[in-house]
Amino acid sequence: MSPLRLPLLESVFRAVNLGAIVLDHERRIVLWNSWMARHSGLQGEQVAGQDFLAVCPQLRGGRMDTAIQYALYHNFPSLLSQTLNKAPLPLYARGVRIQQAVEVTPVAVAGAARHCLIQVSDVSIAVGREKLLREQAMVLRSQTFSDGLTGIANRRHFDVAMEKEHRRAKRSGTPLSLLMIDIDHFKPYNDHYGHQKGDQCLIRVATALAGLLKRPCDLMARYGGEEFATILPETGAEQARLMAEAMRARAQALAIAHARNSDPSRLVTVSIGIATQPADAPVAIEALIGAADRALYQAKRNGRNRVAV
Amino acid sequence: MFNLSELENDALIEIFNIGVGQAAASMSAIVNEAVRMSVPSISFIPRAEAARQLGKSAGLQERICGVSQHFAGAFETEAILMFPEDKSLEIVRLMVGEAVPLKELTEMEQEAMCEIGNIMLNSCVGTLANIFQHELQGSLPQYHVGTSDQILTAGGSQAASVVLMLHIDFVLERHQIHGYVAFVLDISALRDMKQQINLYIARAMGQGQG
Repeated sequence: MSPLRLPLLESVFRAVNLGAIVLDHERRIVLWNSWMARHSGLQGEQVAGQDFLAVCPQLRGGRMDTAIQYALYHNFPSLLSQTLNKAPLPLYARGVRIQQAVEVTPVAVAGAARHCLIQVSDVSIAVGREKLLREQAMVLRSQTFSDGLTGIANRRHFDVAMEKEHRRAKRSGTPLSLLMIDIDHFKPYNDHYGHQKGDQCLIRVATALAGLLKRPCDLMARYGGEEFATILPETGAEQARLMAEAMRARAQALAIAHARNSDPSRLVTVSIGIATQPADAPVAIEALIGAADRALYQAKRNGRNRVAV
Repeated sequence: MFNLSELENDALIEIFNIGVGQAAASMSAIVNEAVRMSVPSISFIPRAEAARQLGKSAGLQERICGVSQHFAGAFETEAILMFPEDKSLEIVRLMVGEAVPLKELTEMEQEAMCEIGNIMLNSCVGTLANIFQHELQGSLPQYHVGTSDQILTAGGSQAASVVLMLHIDFVLERHQIHGYVAFVLDISALRDMKQQINLYIARAMGQGQG
């Protein structure tokens, strides 16, 4: 064997264009290549001989920790996908945290207990490309997700968004509020003014109320005939009440004549039911919708053109 | 055909339930939500029969998604986690927590599916290795899409192989998804595995009496 072979292998290891770390059986860092030094800011000499989890303490107890144990003690390799493990190592390129795909592989060494090799690939470009793909697919889909008459989200969109926001609220421990909105005495309105006027009324109310929502995560949907629903993520009870009150006032401010309304204004008005899921006590989706429905019913019973919780 | 006694059958089901239980705990930690998994039943069937059953469960024209790893040591096997394609979309998107309106897994999602398979297979085979008191070597996971026959032969196994088929129930949020883990074994691997099971049972019984 050429005497150059060993130094050559070491140089090649240092030079490969992905992150490469070798740990011994006690999880101490044996090799740390130039890519790692470049993106972590830690030189090989600084970290050599240290416990890998002392250098990266945030990994303790996580998936990477398990993967290393599997490689060292069970001889099984592991793969950590970018999708399920958001950038586990503190590695940066141009000031931005690198999106990573990681492989942890056992390495047999003659005359020593098993080592493991950690390979880190930069998948930031692929992540960006998929984000774009996803966004474009969402745009296409949104066209089948809107209500044909009012142009706001339809019931299907509401169901999907509700499921998504409900899970997100649970995962991130944030409150979630839901408003159920109903146009008061809409059937008599239709009977009195005709269906064309009825449709115009729906469009004007839907557009005006949806216009009050300023955050992209808020969603106003047509829930049924003259009923609308609004999903307000990361919104507590008090903020939800303020939004509901603003919507009630906005509907009345449209000043659409409604001769058959029981409200003394004889204008089109709405009743709104509010339900809030607190950050620390998530409930089932059905329970949240049921609570908002009951609150809406209460608002109707209390005389309409009002908000109830 | 290869048959297990009731005792051997129960012992294997118990071992695999420990394995998928650990996998479920790892997955729960990743998604921060309760993931539950269990193995209600297992069976040894010829490979062609396994392909037929899988094809039937997935429905006509339906493709299957598989994640495979090769293991060697006390016994040699191609281990494959399989779901009908629509179920694999459901699992990955539930795990990732994002709805993607595409009918195929994207490249990154395929990698996530590989990781799910990796966690499952390492846990199942790791538990087997512990219980058999023998170390095995494993390969990195590979992703496949195709007919059940294509998936089961992806490891290059012979037609005469036998499949140890695990039925897996996977529960995340309010979704219950049914999938399979197949261990493709040739005749000598089958003999090795049966021997290991019997050694384990003998040890377990011995301890029970002692």
